[in-house]
Parts: sequence; structure tokens; C-alpha cells
Amino acid sequence: MMMMKFLFMMIFMIPLCFMKNMFWLVQMMLFFMMFLFMNLNLNIMCFFNMSYMFYCDIISFGLILLSIWICSLMIMASESLFKLNFYFNFFLFNVIFLLIMLYLTFSVLNLLLFYFFFEASLIPTLLLIIGWGYQPERIQAGMYLLFYTLFGSLPLLMGIIYIFNDLNTMTIYFLKFFNMNMYLLYISMIFAFLVKMPMYFVHLWLPKAHVEAPVSGSMILAGIMLKLGGYGLLRVMIFLQEVNLKLNYIWIIISLVGGLFISMKCFCQVDMKSLIAYSSVAHMSMVIGGIMVMNYWGFIGSYILMISHGLCSSGMFCLANINYERLHSRSLYINSGMMNFMPSMSLWWFLLLSSNMAAPPSLNLLGEISLINSLVSWSNISMILLMMISFFSAGYSLYLYSYIQHGKYFQGLYSFYVGSSREYLLLFLHWFPLNMMILKVDFISIWF
Amino acid sequence: MNNNSNKMFFLFILFFSTLISISSNSWFGCWIGLEINLLSFIPLISNSKNLLSVETSLKYFLTQSLASINFLFMILIKFSLLKNFNMNNIISIMMNSSLLMKMGSAPFHFWFPNIVEGLSWMNNFMLMTWQKISPMILLSYYFNKNFLIFMIITNLIIGSLGGLNQTSLRKLLAFSSINNLGWMIFSIMISENLWLFYFLIYSMMISMMISLFFLMNMYFMNQLFINNMNFFIKLNLLINFLSLGGLPPFMGFMPKWIIINFLLINKFYFLTFIFMMTSLIIIYYYIRIIYSSFMFNYFKMKWVNLLMKNNMSLINLSSFISISSMILSTFIFM
Repeated sequence: MMMMKFLFMMIFMIPLCFMKNMFWLVQMMLFFMMFLFMNLNLNIMCFFNMSYMFYCDIISFGLILLSIWICSLMIMASESLFKLNFYFNFFLFNVIFLLIMLYLTFSVLNLLLFYFFFEASLIPTLLLIIGWGYQPERIQAGMYLLFYTLFGSLPLLMGIIYIFNDLNTMTIYFLKFFNMNMYLLYISMIFAFLVKMPMYFVHLWLPKAHVEAPVSGSMILAGIMLKLGGYGLLRVMIFLQEVNLKLNYIWIIISLVGGLFISMKCFCQVDMKSLIAYSSVAHMSMVIGGIMVMNYWGFIGSYILMISHGLCSSGMFCLANINYERLHSRSLYINSGMMNFMPSMSLWWFLLLSSNMAAPPSLNLLGEISLINSLVSWSNISMILLMMISFFSAGYSLYLYSYIQHGKYFQGLYSFYVGSSREYLLLFLHWFPLNMMILKVDFISIWF
Repeated sequence: MNNNSNKMFFLFILFFSTLISISSNSWFGCWIGLEINLLSFIPLISNSKNLLSVETSLKYFLTQSLASINFLFMILIKFSLLKNFNMNNIISIMMNSSLLMKMGSAPFHFWFPNIVEGLSWMNNFMLMTWQKISPMILLSYYFNKNFLIFMIITNLIIGSLGGLNQTSLRKLLAFSSINNLGWMIFSIMISENLWLFYFLIYSMMISMMISLFFLMNMYFMNQLFINNMNFFIKLNLLINFLSLGGLPPFMGFMPKWIIINFLLINKFYFLTFIFMMTSLIIIYYYIRIIYSSFMFNYFKMKWVNLLMKNNMSLINLSSFISISSMILSTFIFM
């Protein structure tokens, strides 16, 4: 009952998107829904709030909260669409439709319905990128996004239907009683999530899609869509444990070494958004490592890193867009010396980038410490890789901060707005959960 | 659309001939139905004022009569002369091949894109949907399983790879029809009910698209890019093509899902993989067609106005059904 009422609240927000002057009301309703959702009873150790086909688990709870939060912040960040009257009705409909699909992905009991909504959430994302993006390269970006993800997830459909024919049940809760330890099934089930995460060899769609998307598309991609892969892996590992224990070294090695290469590649980027996109891949590589190791600290660390990375990357994309709206360029050469013009934004660049490099007291720190613990307990040699990845993430975060804020500013600048209250609030709402949730982490990190 | 009563007459005989073919008690009656089908379709498509149309109807006549005479010959040899009902014969394979040629399935598909290029949209709709019914059902009465599985694979690959280099919308839909024939031949092998389900949903999706192209009078891909389309037409085009490609959450996902279910029950694992990868290629060229409808700020020419022939309310209703039919289909249990 409790999960259904939020679904209906979202469905009935759709007519609201098409009425006149309702742009800010939709955003207010999403914040209101977030507040209502936070008051659900949260039980660890079990599935709660089960009704018809919905459930809520501790993992689903956190990720649904994150998706509602990011969707409402997406609307706050896209005020320019409303001002310029650029199909904002359809944009609102797109955001609400995407939120419904994500909500349903995280809260249905049936594995096949999970797949259905997992795929369905791609369509509004594609529409966001190609419809409201800025550059002509967005067509290629949309194609890469769609085809990489579909190529991974069609074998997932095969695997799910195979499981249905074998076990005659699709309920996620019952899957923990079975052991389907077949190599081909293992590959087909986890490949979709590895492409979505993304893992190093299949990560090409991410820099393209994140860069060409508008700010709202980038926020939702970095915030939630990557976490769908992590959530799927957490659900599917339960009945594939033995094969995973035999084969996980492949994925851990690919993702950690790939994370190292990507971190080094971050230093060569000229485009701000491209740098943030590559840093997403590097963080997600650690998340994959943590899940694949299959110990408790690994799961905890990857879940905390998923939530904190969602908030942090989304905030950084908002900052990149704030610069883009004023200077109309994402290039690092043009966006330099911003401390002279926008000192308030300089504060937010510093706070969010310090969270990105996992400085205390951010939630990223807790995630990385747990992940380092779990990966080192798996093998001592991973200490080298983790040391390099953490060091380089600090390196490129500082590089980005220093390049944008310090130095001589671009002489072609004329005059622009220092930073409106809306932008300040947007960034505050990203930073506050990130750095304050560390004071009470037990609702996301104690699973039994 | 046709104010010509001759065309109504031939359309009636067309429908009747399919019914003769599928409900006859003997193979001879099936052949008669196929011949009357051919006989009544030719006047529908030939228009003596247009040279292209005459040439198209001549090509159609030649290929289809070749196929049906082949069918008759194989029937007579197998069931009258030899009286042999074994399905693993070369003659039963040739029977199946002649029916595949009637449908336009690979590897006998070379006439199909050619002829589709020469017909108008409404005639194409007839060719792609109704003309497939009687060969399909006749195929289901007597088929050689291994041969048909090989033909399915050929259909899928040719349908997906053949459309990659096309710019004419009619040829693109022809290759997508060849690909969908692969799915339909598999569903016929499982059960006729399943085929009917797939065929009805496929016909509904094709009819929505063809009526949209007919109203906009569009025959080539570049016409989609230079026109100044209304927002709702663009949305419609987007939804219909993604639905035909089989992407969730649209209606076109449901038949593909059910067929994959039956494929995996019968342990056709590698075949399922081919089904999926070819449908990825098809989605690629569908999206290439509808680029312009995704983008909201592209290079539009203001002096090209799209004149719509009729009103669009039926099309809007049908695209609404495309989106919501997955949810509405759960209401059948009430």
C-alpha cells in the first residue's frame, strides 16, 4: 500500500506538467514526495512494505530516495528551459516519466518487471540527450548509449527467461533459495550490469553520453543510471555465488586496472564535463571491485560509494553547467580564473571536488575506506592499484579545481551573473546530504 | 481511399481467396486459393497510366505464378504420385520453399524490396500483411523443422543487414518485414495461436506507420529531414518506430518477449542470440530514420509546409495505445 501511493502520486503529477506556469510546482511536489518517502518505516534484514508487486528493501530505499532527490534537482537546474520556453512541458513529462520508471525499477518484486523498467528508463534518457542537448554530436552519443546498453541487456532478458523456465518463479525474494551456477548464465546475467556500470572495456558510451547531455541528462545519468547496474549486480549475485567466486578475479582486475588507466586519462582532458565523466568511470570501477569481492564490507562500501558518487558527480555537472551557461564553453582553457568572477561558486567547486577526492568528512571517504578494506582483504596486491586510483582521483580533482579557479582569466569575457540563489540552493542540496550523512550512516551501512 | 468500385470487388475476392486457401480440405484447394489470390491482387496494384506500376505488377505476377506452379507440382508429385508423407524429403523442402517464395521470405526474397518500391503505401500494406496469411498457414500444415530453422536464420540476417544501405522508406519497411517474417515463421512452428498474436500486433504497428507515411506522402528518408513537422507527428513517428523495434515499454516488446520465452523453453539458445542481435541492427536503422523527430532544434526550413490529408485523431489514439498497451493488457484479467 505504501509503495503504491507514491507511484500514483507520480502518475498524477503528469497532467500537472502540461498546465500553464506549473514548472516550479512540479519541483515542489517532488520535494514533498521525497519528504513523505523518507518517513517510511525502514526495517533492515527484510523486505518491507510489500504489496501487490512492490517491496522496499534497504538498498531500494536509499536508491529511490536518491532518484527522487536528483529528479527534483534536475528540474531546479533546468530553469533556462523554462525561461527560453523550449518545450519545457514535454521536459517535465520526461522527467516524471523517467522518475516513474526508475522508481518501478527499484521497487518491483518480479525480476522480469525489473528488466522491463530497466530498459524502459533508457527511452526518456535518450529523449533528454537528443532533444535538449547542445551540440550536434549528441546523435552519436545517443546511439552509443542506446546500443551499448541494449547489447548488454538482451542477453539479460535471455537469462531471466531461462531462470523462469527453470525455477517457475521470478520473485526476487525467493531467488536466494536457489543456486543457478552455470557459466553461460552468469555471463549473460552480469554483462548487462557491467556495461551499465560501466566497466573499463565497455565504458565508451559514458564519456560521450555525459558530455553531450544537457545538465538534467548528465545529472540523472551520473546520479542514478549508473547505479542501476550496481543494484542489478547486488540482486543477481545471490543465486550465482559459486561461479562468481571462481570467476570474479577477471572483473575485479579489469575494473581496477581500467580505473587506473581512466584516472590517468583524466589528466589529459580539455573538456570539463569529460573530466567529470571519466572520474565517474574511475569511481564506478571501485564499486565493481567491491561488489565482486562478495564480502560484507565490499557490499557496504560499494553501496555507500554509489550514493555518494551520485550526489557528488551530479553536483559537479551542475557546476559545469553553471559555467557553461555563462561562458558557453566547456573548455578548460576558457574557464580559468573563475575565482575572480564567481567566488561563491569557488566555494562550491572546492566542497564538491574535495568530496570527489574522498576527503573527510564526506560520504565518499567512508565508501572508499570500506572498499579499500574489502579489496585488500581479497588480495594484498590490489593495494598498489587502489593506492594509485585514490592518489590520482585526488590529483585530477585538484587539477580541475585549480585550473578552473586560479590563474589568469580568459580576456574575452564581458560580464555575467555572479550566482543566483537558485544555483546556490541547487549546489547546497547536493553537498548537504553528502557531507552530513556521515553523521548517521547506519541506515545505509548496517544490513544485519 | 479507393473510390473505384472495381477495386472493392477485387478486394473482396482477395479476402475470400485467403479464406478458401486456409480452410480447404485438400492441398488442391489450397493451390486454388493461392491462384485466386494472385489473380485478384494484380488488378489492385496495376494502374495502366503509370509505367512503373505496370512493370511492378508484371514482376509480381511472374514470381508468384512461378511459386504457385511449383507448389502445385510438388503437391501432385508428393501426395498423388508417390503418396509419401515423410517430411525429411527433398520434395517437402521444395514445397516449403515455394511457400516461402510466395511470402517473400529469404532466400527467395529478391523480388520483395523491388516490388514494394513500385507500389503505393496502401498496396504495400496489403502486400505486407494480408498476403502473408495464407502462405504462413499453409506452411504450418506441413513443414520441415530443420529447413525452417535455417530459413529463419537467413531471414533474420538478410532482413537486418539488407536495410542498412537503403534510403527509400518502402525498401526499409520491406527489409523489416523480411526480418519480422523470421519471427513469424518461428511462431508458426510453435503454435498457430502464437502466430496469430504476433501477426495481429505486427499488422497493427505496420498499419500505424504506413498510415502516417501515407498521410504525409513520404516515400524517402530525406523527406523526413527537410519537412517542418508538427511536434505530435514527430512524437508519433518516434513511438511507432521504437515500438516496431521491440523496445520496452512500448507494445512491440510484448510479442518479441513471448517468442523469446518459447524459444528458451524449447532450448534454442543460439537461435535466440541471433534473434536478439539482428533486432539490434534493425533498431539502428530505425533510429537513423527518426533522428529528426528526436531533436527539437535542428535545421528546419520554414518554407516547406507539411500538408496533412486527413485529421490525425485516429493516429494519436493508436500511438497512445502503443505506449499504454503493456499496462492495458493486464486489464484482460478483469
